[in-house]
Amino acid sequence: MLKTEELQINIGPQHPSTHGVFRMLVTVDGETITDLKPVFGYLHRNHEQLAEMNTYQQNMPYTDRLDYFNAMANNHAYAIAVEKLVGIEVPERAEYIRVLMVELTRILNHAGALGFLINDMGAWQTQLAFGMREREKILDLFESASGARLMCNYFRFGGVARDLPADFMPRLKDLLLAMPGFVDEMERLLRENEILLQRSEGIGILPQELALAYSVTGPVLRGSGVAYDIRKAEPYSIYDRFDFDVPVGSVGDVYDRILVRIEEMRQSKRIIEQIIEQLPDAQGGYMNPKARQNVRPPVGDVYARVETPKGELGFYLVSDGSTKPYRYKVRAPSFINLTPLGDMCRGYKVADVVVILGSIDIVMGEVDR
Amino acid sequence: MDIPRGNIIVMDRRRGKLRVGQGLIQGLKVVWDHWAGSFHKNENFSQIHGTFTVEYPDERLPLPQTYRNMPVLLYDDESGHELCTGCYQCQRICPPQVIHITQAKDPVTGKMVPAATEFIIEYDACMSCGFCAEVCPFDSIKMDHVYELSTADRVSLTMRKAQLNRPISYYASIAPDLWAEVQAGAMKKLQGSIKRRPDVIGLAAVLTEKIKARRLELAAAAAAAPAAAAPAPAAPAAPAAKLTPEEKAAKLAAMKATNANKGVAAPPAKAPVELSPADAKAAKLAAIKAANAAKQAGAAAPPAEVPAELPPTDAKAAKLAAIKAANAAKKAAEQGNSE
Ligand code: SF4
Ligand code: SF4
Repeated sequence: MLKTEELQINIGPQHPSTHGVFRMLVTVDGETITDLKPVFGYLHRNHEQLAEMNTYQQNMPYTDRLDYFNAMANNHAYAIAVEKLVGIEVPERAEYIRVLMVELTRILNHAGALGFLINDMGAWQTQLAFGMREREKILDLFESASGARLMCNYFRFGGVARDLPADFMPRLKDLLLAMPGFVDEMERLLRENEILLQRSEGIGILPQELALAYSVTGPVLRGSGVAYDIRKAEPYSIYDRFDFDVPVGSVGDVYDRILVRIEEMRQSKRIIEQIIEQLPDAQGGYMNPKARQNVRPPVGDVYARVETPKGELGFYLVSDGSTKPYRYKVRAPSFINLTPLGDMCRGYKVADVVVILGSIDIVMGEVDR
Repeated sequence: MDIPRGNIIVMDRRRGKLRVGQGLIQGLKVVWDHWAGSFHKNENFSQIHGTFTVEYPDERLPLPQTYRNMPVLLYDDESGHELCTGCYQCQRICPPQVIHITQAKDPVTGKMVPAATEFIIEYDACMSCGFCAEVCPFDSIKMDHVYELSTADRVSLTMRKAQLNRPISYYASIAPDLWAEVQAGAMKKLQGSIKRRPDVIGLAAVLTEKIKARRLELAAAAAAAPAAAAPAPAAPAAPAAKLTPEEKAAKLAAMKATNANKGVAAPPAKAPVELSPADAKAAKLAAIKAANAAKQAGAAAPPAEVPAELPPTDAKAAKLAAIKAANAAKKAAEQGNSE
């Protein structure tokens, strides 16, 4: 066999398939990847230090900007952390609204993420446009409830900023009518498409042990066959009131991650249907009237985590008794899920890199903070 | 492994068992459906085919009432009474710290007056979080629905009070339900100070009648004493008077008049003193004023270049520059006097 020389190439930081400013230092031997080093930090915005200079209340809109696809889920994690630290009760109705928003977020994230993944495979914009359309509908709902499409800033300590508008529920029900059709269609388009199978089956395998060793979470971990979902393992908010299944993959390749995401959209829809049923009976308002926003938590620390569409998002807060957090740490799922990229890519072809990266579903705003 | 209230589904990797090529055709059918659907319009959320976009500059989607883009200030339509009392709540909460307020002062007693003489919001750095509108106890600052603010000129996005002022009727037209809520809740927010001074403090929604009565009184008093109106012709006061109640305008005019009477040397010397609580913007403003005053005093060159040196965000530097300008102005005035 011909002896070839190894070559180092940079993919990124400015590259349309790196989902932001992200650099991969790839060592290739011919077409085969022998090593890959993810290099991040290009989007560093000093998020944590900034948060330590702001009050607890002022940080809420900044959490939107972590994973800007899933502002509601980030809000949820931060609100839970501060509520735990201060000891604020959340009324039942507010909890339902929160979970509703977060599950809608999950649907829109997966619709978008799969679109971008297919885009990376070369199906220029087709699936992305279909996914974006569903996402737009959900964003319309977010806009009517919170006032903004992406930077929702909707959650407050002890509830949400305002109650759902009158036309929210009818529109949500319309949306749910369309949802099975949309997911089925997506599955028809992707599931047995030979081109997609060629590009995704057996590509980017992340074995179970390795996934656990890297403490990967979210659909990537479940794609590797570990049925770990914080909503089930450590139910927060009111997740213990809903029936839903946890989809897992068996091989841990890109294809499994696609399948898991498609199924998760169905499960989220199931949760939303249960919320619609139970919401009218929920006690309390959208906000705990006794909850102060400008909180001054007692000295102590807290770690709170939620299952965002991308995995475990945790906030670690240390309070020194003032209105500003002494330490504010974000455990960002995109960041941790990105670390095994080198192991996932080794041995595959250089064209697979963007597909494997796309299947992790990262948002650089969260990776670099 | 078991999980509560649900099952673990292991995804089936080969469900349909289609023959080679059929998956591709199935996928193409989906794309075809969308293409065929693109000839009709998507009516509501329950449809997944059909066009769902609008041709933007010609057509616009209606915005929900809660939509928030940039904050604006409200004033009463008839009286021009501004609802803002300069309570600093919004300035304090604003996460990126882009609100800068200058509290009005009574020129005679030097006490704070519940009104803002200047209100600056840096639109270019505002993150549209809506916190300012949420905390304002006087419902004075509200989120606007205008989203076409692009400009090539960053400085023009630093909005002054005159640019931020909007009549209440405007806000009531873009968000009728929210304004109705404000009116319903306004009584609850009535505080002692508001009761005492309805003529100056905000919340005009429920107090317009009272304010009107008070304004009539003031007008009558002004008519009864025409001499008092004499210093009014001070021209620069006029644009401000459009938006503020007469009382404020009168005060302003009085202030101007006293300043004018004090002669050339006085105002620049005073500038740095007024500045003490200063934020950068106010300092810059004062510096410019001082420079202008100095120009008027007759010495053209030295102070004129001062504002150009100012890094707009650096409060200390701005203050320093203001003081420098004032000194230069003083010198200039002295020279003018000696000549
Ligand atoms: S919307 Fe937020 S960022 Fe903008 S001025 Fe108000 S508080 Fe500040
Ligand atoms: S806008 Fe409202 S919160 Fe801000 S200073 Fe004026 S009255 Fe206070």
